[in-house]
Amino acid sequence: MCVLCGYLVTDLHWTEARFDQDGVGSAAHETPRRRQRLARIRIVDRVLRHYGLGVHDDWGATSYVVSNRKGASQLVEHLGQLWPAAERLAGQPLDPLDEGLLEDLAGG
Amino acid sequence: MAERRPVTVVSGFLGSGKTTLLRRLLGAGGGGGAGVAVVVNEAGAVGLDHHLVRQVAERVSLVGGGCACCERRDDLVRTLRELLDLDQRGIIPRLRRVVIETSGLADPAPILFTVTTDPVLRHHFAVDGVLVAVDALQGPEQLERHEESRKQISVADRILVTKTDLVEPAAVAGMTTRLRELNPAAEILRAGLDVSLDPALLEVGASGRAAPEVPRSRHRPTGALALTFDRPVDWIAFSVWLSLLLHAHGEEVLRVKALLDVAGVGPVAVNAVQHVVHRPEHLVAWAGAEPVSRLVMILRGLPVERVERSLRVFLEAA
Repeated sequence: MCVLCGYLVTDLHWTEARFDQDGVGSAAHETPRRRQRLARIRIVDRVLRHYGLGVHDDWGATSYVVSNRKGASQLVEHLGQLWPAAERLAGQPLDPLDEGLLEDLAGG
Repeated sequence: MAERRPVTVVSGFLGSGKTTLLRRLLGAGGGGGAGVAVVVNEAGAVGLDHHLVRQVAERVSLVGGGCACCERRDDLVRTLRELLDLDQRGIIPRLRRVVIETSGLADPAPILFTVTTDPVLRHHFAVDGVLVAVDALQGPEQLERHEESRKQISVADRILVTKTDLVEPAAVAGMTTRLRELNPAAEILRAGLDVSLDPALLEVGASGRAAPEVPRSRHRPTGALALTFDRPVDWIAFSVWLSLLLHAHGEEVLRVKALLDVAGVGPVAVNAVQHVVHRPEHLVAWAGAEPVSRLVMILRGLPVERVERSLRVFLEAA
């Protein structure tokens, strides 16, 4: 059991930490937050594509939706929950050291 | 919210002199023990350490009868909540720091996990760092023979080499080199009886945030990845990569310590012990002159070159 399993997550996951804390909660804060989420989704989506999966934002940009090509999907709050959910949907472990994945990412 | 009370985890192999160290740091007129609660984890049936520490510390709580790992984290939670309650009700003087002494064989990672994730504790306590005692006399053999001993060194922020007064200086130097190989990110200090100890040594955080030293390439230790970056690091790509790496190989990533230039004003400090990632901290300024990103990872059984390639591919893909 660990933080990456999503245990007792009512706090911000560390990967969601932002370093431009001005105006947190204000409208001015929303644009950089969304921009950061989109950047995260872009790179996570490229990783997931290698395993036949995809990810997109939910309508409120508070959760991520991971789905496979058979139409199964799961809502997760952060990356700590996303990777285990993606493994279940892919039916195989995800590994950042996987040579095939690295070739896919390097190839654009 | 009031500032969180720092927690120092003191670890070390059996007989490495943890208790003596604590006695010296907390007692003897230095005032180091004022407002410090010591939580002793006693693996044996006889709470010998408990009694010894109690002689110098103001408050000692004995955690259960086992070790403060995952199985025992409820006890640790209960003890820390009790201390918090006493502090908030003004029954004890203001709690300045908590020191958790682990049993010789305990793995410090679950303790960090407990403090970081408990819904109450995490708002009132913050892990300041891990201090590890290693014995200059028995240490070299323990490091060769016992995986637990090497693991303790790997997760340390500060290593205190005890009993340095009992061996030749050359032996201490040799051991320091070996410790440096095992953990390039930790600060290593002599702590024999011939050296006077500053109670501030328990405040590990100050050095924990310092840039980890990245050894020159030809001295690269095996099992450790030490990198510098000449360009700002994309935080999103880095955090996606690290979270996936820890998800897939958390058991093999003993330690991550980094000071990253994320193209902001100051650096971002990243600190992780196995699966437990501390909240990344944005520092206001670089301590040294050069704003260079540094990353040190201590790996066990993972191919170092592959890990480095993987990181670089993720950063390029951003």
